[in-house]
Amino acid sequence: MKQFVIIICLIALLGCGNKESSETKKLNLYIWSAYITDETIKKFEKQTGITVRYDTYDSNEALLEKLQSGITEYDIVVPSDYAARILIHQGLLETLDQSKLKGVENLTPRFQDMPFDPNHGHTIPFLWGTTGIGYNKTKVTEPVDSWSILWNPRYQNRILMLDDPREVFGSVLKWKGHSINSKNPADLEEAKGLLIQQKPLVKTYNSASFDEVLLSGDVWLAQGWSGQLAKAADQNKDLAYVIPKEGGTIWVDNMAIPKGTKHTEAAYAFINFVLTPETAAEITNLSGYPSPNEAAKKFIKPDILNDPARYPDEQTLAKCEFLMDVGETSTLVDRYWTEIKSH
Amino acid sequence: MRTRALSRWFLFSESTLVYIFLYAPIAILIIYSFNTSKYAIWEGFSWQWYETLLNDDLVLRALKNSLIVALVSTIISTLIGTLAALGMQRFEFRGKGAIDGIFYLPVIIPEIVMAASLVIFFGFIRFTLGMTTVILAHIAFCVSYVIIVVRARLEGFDKTLEEAAMDLGANEFQTFFKVTLPVIAPGILSGALLAFTISIDDYIITSFVAGVGSTTLPLQIYSMVKTKVTPEINAVSTLLLIPTILLIVIADRLQREKK
Repeated sequence: MKQFVIIICLIALLGCGNKESSETKKLNLYIWSAYITDETIKKFEKQTGITVRYDTYDSNEALLEKLQSGITEYDIVVPSDYAARILIHQGLLETLDQSKLKGVENLTPRFQDMPFDPNHGHTIPFLWGTTGIGYNKTKVTEPVDSWSILWNPRYQNRILMLDDPREVFGSVLKWKGHSINSKNPADLEEAKGLLIQQKPLVKTYNSASFDEVLLSGDVWLAQGWSGQLAKAADQNKDLAYVIPKEGGTIWVDNMAIPKGTKHTEAAYAFINFVLTPETAAEITNLSGYPSPNEAAKKFIKPDILNDPARYPDEQTLAKCEFLMDVGETSTLVDRYWTEIKSH
Repeated sequence: MRTRALSRWFLFSESTLVYIFLYAPIAILIIYSFNTSKYAIWEGFSWQWYETLLNDDLVLRALKNSLIVALVSTIISTLIGTLAALGMQRFEFRGKGAIDGIFYLPVIIPEIVMAASLVIFFGFIRFTLGMTTVILAHIAFCVSYVIIVVRARLEGFDKTLEEAAMDLGANEFQTFFKVTLPVIAPGILSGALLAFTISIDDYIITSFVAGVGSTTLPLQIYSMVKTKVTPEINAVSTLLLIPTILLIVIADRLQREKK
């Protein structure tokens, strides 16, 4: 019996190859799924001799929870803009040593100075996208160019909205000519009224599989993120993605180094590797999401680069806004959201 | 006669409906793992998702992690759970009622509370998140299930059998291995199977306590939802069904042979 116990303990110990070696030739990466492929990782390993271990997550909240626990060993994480802001605020990200960064000048001017992190103090943009409307061209024959179409009673039960209060309120705020980050109670009150009015037309509120629902034909108009909707449009030529003329949300996911990393050098090596035009282009070519790297454009496949769903023109982008931390107002938005959902 | 035929017909159609309700989703999952299209629209038969799966290091690694975690935590929790159940059955001591209640706690408290408390605990002792924490967490909640199942089996255990063995000259070890263990073996096996099943599909607790290199299959599938649930997931789920079904068949055989 005793031997049996000892054997099991040994198995348990072997099973958990968790002991962290102090080598610097290692990198633990925590990233959105489908953002990077083994192909790119292997190139990095070959070039630098650093071994990469990577895990993926499905939401910023999962990442926040991991970093806030304070007992992880990730060296690079990729939070979205608002999550990066929270992490910076909580002091969970390392301040970037600008002298160790190479290739920041490759970034598009738009991504040089982010509102949530001035002058790349803590983060470097990785991939970006927008929020707009995906629709079925054969069913919706009138031009789709305004958020107002999501209030057209003709499409009753054929409309999908994201299950995300900030994005849903953002669509109304934009439509009515306000900022997506408006803190004016009157604007939000108006938005709430319109969203309650819209509710009977909405088939479902869905952030996880809006592209699938659109593809299946259950809805004809879907608010959603550009990456998935552009991919859906690749799959079915009847679908299209548009950023309404009033503008939409622009979002960016960023590389950052969590506080207390043991592999600082490897982390900078990885950031610099991604900043090279060739790598940035490869990541975009394989993931289908647009790159914040201007110099990478000449290596990006033309059908991705010339796709207005992925790379909207400057004029459209100028009307898009980042979701910012709105402080106390977010409590109000959450309360209104509950009222709308339970109406 | 007529009513009997009618009731038989009712019984038949009702059980058919129940079986459809239970198994149709699984059947659809398997069918769509052979779909040519990425989406839930049938376009034609293909093996492509199984090929993608074999080349997807992330999913394979997650599968491997899941199996390691489930196996190790099942073995350890079955051992601890069985011993605890035997101890609780045999001995009377002060505070037994309280300890008894504590055993049930992991089953009763919301998973999210257990998950958060584990992370706070690991943080408190500065224990880095990884495979070890996942396995420890799984053992923590699997033990309770094993105890419950094994104790249920012990309730019906005829103590006179042990006494008879002792009377006939068997020592305590012989009695345990030749009499007690064979009788409660089906209970232990059921407990182990339950622990394995619970461990392999746990999401909430695992997502909290996982660290570098310890992504399990449920975590991997969840993280793929953001971009796309491809039929690759159907393929891996179908493959996962095979050992599960085998395990159940084996357990069933073993139990029958005992009888």
